[in-house]
Amino acid sequence: MKVFWFETYKIFSRWRTYIGFGFIALIVILTEVVMKLSANEILYRMMRSFQKDFLIFGNILNGWFVTAFIMNSLHIHIPFLIALVAGDIVSSEATSGTVRLLLIRPPSRSKIISAKYLTTLLYTTGLVIFLALMCIILGLLLFGSGDLIMNYQTQLRIVFIPEAQIPVRMLLAFSAAAWSMTVVASLAFLLSTLAENSIGPIIGTMALVIVFFVLGNFPFDFFRAINPYLFTTYMIFWQRFFDHPIPWLEITRSALILGLHSIGLFLIAFIAYNRKDIKS
Amino acid sequence: MTAILLLFSTEWIQAQEEVTRTLDAIEKKYSGLRDYVVDVRVHFDMESLNAPDMQAKLYYKAPDKMKVESKKIFFFPKEGGYFNPSLFKKKDFEVNLLEHLTYEGRKSVKLKLIPKEANRYHQIFIVTIDVERNLIREIEISPSDVRKIKTTIEYGTFDHVDLPTHIELQLDMSPSDPNEIKDFPPFGQRAKRITGKVEITYSNYKVNSDLGDEIFKDSEFYQPK
Repeated sequence: MKVFWFETYKIFSRWRTYIGFGFIALIVILTEVVMKLSANEILYRMMRSFQKDFLIFGNILNGWFVTAFIMNSLHIHIPFLIALVAGDIVSSEATSGTVRLLLIRPPSRSKIISAKYLTTLLYTTGLVIFLALMCIILGLLLFGSGDLIMNYQTQLRIVFIPEAQIPVRMLLAFSAAAWSMTVVASLAFLLSTLAENSIGPIIGTMALVIVFFVLGNFPFDFFRAINPYLFTTYMIFWQRFFDHPIPWLEITRSALILGLHSIGLFLIAFIAYNRKDIKS
Repeated sequence: MTAILLLFSTEWIQAQEEVTRTLDAIEKKYSGLRDYVVDVRVHFDMESLNAPDMQAKLYYKAPDKMKVESKKIFFFPKEGGYFNPSLFKKKDFEVNLLEHLTYEGRKSVKLKLIPKEANRYHQIFIVTIDVERNLIREIEISPSDVRKIKTTIEYGTFDHVDLPTHIELQLDMSPSDPNEIKDFPPFGQRAKRITGKVEITYSNYKVNSDLGDEIFKDSEFYQPK
């Protein structure tokens, strides 16, 4: 526990750690202000398939909708912010030359690597919670509350979630988002364990995430066949909490697959770190 | 030849007289209706709109003012969703008698209404009217492949006025206008049609309570520019 707090202190003493929080704050504020200014355009794009035939009353563009919209837009960018810290947490010891100093202290390598991993998960969860709080608080202040309308445009489908159900669904969705991001964190952490500098793990993580996302979205049978084997396929399972009915089986399956990925990646990192020959 | 022409023109004149009588009778029947307020409950049975039942209060004032008051988000069909007896005024349409029929055991007629001013109404209406009670029972809007809406209306009597208690709309619509520039659907996907059923139940009518015009000043519904 002491090692964990020590690692947490170290991570939050670095300015790099706050890039993610700053970026999120900036993006959320900018997005919500722009959305407030161009509300009519957003509503037109959102409702155009229905507004021809229905009169639509009430506050559609509310804080909950804005939160879901930002979450949907940022799920590719957040992994980069996570990789910035998770890809640096082990390798930075080698870069700064503190690794030998660290390993001659009483805590075992296993304890050190576990503490670093837990710190990575804390940062990851903290970043997602920060995103949630920023989106929801600012969203509700600027746009007010109301029922949530999820517009699945490619399927020409609208799901209507009553206001009373939204806080629970948001909590579940953000928990699922944090769960998804732990896979990215675990991947960056593994690469950080294997590397001697921080740039490689950060770029390597992002490259893998982007390539997997792209492959998973190609509309060809070959790529469709490999889709189930890419972890990125399951990373957007948080969106399913805004569907009706909530597909619990699919959510459980995705959560399990992502959980197994995280455990697997951490175990490889754990073994690699314990066997690593420290030369610098 | 002249006899055949004469016969046809006599039939045509008789049909036109019947059409005029039918629409006049409806106009006369509802001439005393100045306004109404009613509670509306909308139930959607549509694959593309997954929503719980929605409730609102609807205000109508003759000839064509309408307002919906709802604390929550409320979707309401633009056409056929609320009862407006002055919708089918004889002067606005070229009317043709399509057939005589029996609708729920009552003598009825089916009329085709073609708008004279294309700017006001964009579509052709096919209307089934119960001529015994002078009630519009069915409205079919724009019978084409692009867009079909069929409205069936059931009535109750409130303060001596027959007003809808239940309206059912059958929808089958293309997601976009044929003249609209469309976004291409994602690769390998065909644009789905919006189909399904909307059921609207009306209750707690307050008829002719002299609603002021100020009630209708602020329209709360979202209308894109």
